[in-house]
Amino acid sequence: MPKKILVVDDEPHLVKYMTAFLEDSGYETCSASNGEEAMEVLKKENPDLVTLDLQMPDETGTRFYRNMTKSKLHKDTPVIVISGLPGRHLAVSQPFAVFEKPVDRDALLEAIKKAIG
Amino acid sequence: MLDVANMDWRRLLDALPCYVSLQDPELRVIWGNTVHRRDFGEAKARTCSKIYKLRKSQCADCIVKKTLEDGEERSKELQLTTRNGERLNVIAHSAPFYDATNQLLGVVVTKVNITSVKEMQKQLIMVGQTVAGMAHSIKNIMMGLDGGIYIVNSGIKDDDQKEIKDGWEIVLLNFEKLSRLVKDILYCSRDREPNYKLINPNSVVTDVYNLFKDLAVRYSIEIKLDLDPGLDEAVIDPDGLHTVLANLVTNAMDACKMDLWKDTHLIEIRTKIGSDGSTIFEVADNGMGIDKELKHHVFEDFFTSKGDKGTGLGLMVTQKILKEHGGEITFRSRPSHGTTFVAIFPKRSIEGAKSGNEGR
Repeated sequence: MPKKILVVDDEPHLVKYMTAFLEDSGYETCSASNGEEAMEVLKKENPDLVTLDLQMPDETGTRFYRNMTKSKLHKDTPVIVISGLPGRHLAVSQPFAVFEKPVDRDALLEAIKKAIG
Repeated sequence: MLDVANMDWRRLLDALPCYVSLQDPELRVIWGNTVHRRDFGEAKARTCSKIYKLRKSQCADCIVKKTLEDGEERSKELQLTTRNGERLNVIAHSAPFYDATNQLLGVVVTKVNITSVKEMQKQLIMVGQTVAGMAHSIKNIMMGLDGGIYIVNSGIKDDDQKEIKDGWEIVLLNFEKLSRLVKDILYCSRDREPNYKLINPNSVVTDVYNLFKDLAVRYSIEIKLDLDPGLDEAVIDPDGLHTVLANLVTNAMDACKMDLWKDTHLIEIRTKIGSDGSTIFEVADNGMGIDKELKHHVFEDFFTSKGDKGTGLGLMVTQKILKEHGGEITFRSRPSHGTTFVAIFPKRSIEGAKSGNEGR
């Protein structure tokens, strides 16, 4: 069964880009456009990995990450942070990997493979 | 002839452009030079904290006190308030003042006004932040372009017309973002005369509306027009007006996107004729509104409340364009209810405009 990846980004075209790319690479995807929605999708879909844009308004991205690490079921799900701002990942304690925008697709895919195969 | 031996040295100190004053061991100012008297009034043996309206924290490690204690010279940056209420940044320097028998009589304090230097420093910091902000904007746009190109390519590979169309739309959207950013930067970096033309204001509004309406739908935002049909012509720089409206609509959309409390949002663009013949544009949204604390920062150069996503250029450019037209921009806002920006362009005849060639 293909592994499932949750894409969290508030820009719809970036969600489309990431999901298209990940699906082409053989993964299933689901998506959310803000932190609150991401929490719901996380519970419903149980993804194997999350890509998270931390630049979303109102810091809902970091709040989502904090809630996720507190949840027993999802605290070990690897998170890959995608950010336009160097150092922003420091807001998140232990991301699996951090990518700056614009994302290097091959490197991202490699990181995902390393995390979930 | 100059008789140095019998000269009144106070007159020499009076000629200096910086503040010179003498304080006694009780911290009372017993003399000040001309500029000191001009900005802080006659000393009248008031203490320095009174004369300069110092804050308690500033008095905590007073250089005059310390110099009185050990006779060492010191300097420190201070913020003073003049008798007219003007705030000054100064570098204060304290030096011991001895009599002929080497008895410490008091402290000579020299203060140099560095307010303009401080102002420049602040502006440089803001420019730095803006450049960083722009770099982030460009990175985001690049990622968007990257994505659009990827989707177009994958559509071509799968021979999927819809995917090609979707991808191309993303490319165009980001291209538009990039050209707007570049326009804003150029607009900020030079002074220019508006390129006045006789235009139909409502048709510029409609152009901007067409540019944004599809994008707005994706964020569940509806854009409505309320145009005064009587407003059929005005003399305005069309590019400038386009930039003003695009910036205001972008801001309104951001205010709606950042407002998580309503499911659907509304932006209304209105045109009106002012009682004095001016042309009035209003962009109203029911987004998150502007907090009280932020209200007076809104028109500050480079100010943004959007973190990495804003450059602080939008309203700066908007205000610049309005100023160049002799117009003005104002806003009213209620937190969590929405904001309305009002741009007023004064009535102008085409003859008065430089580039005009049509009569009115």
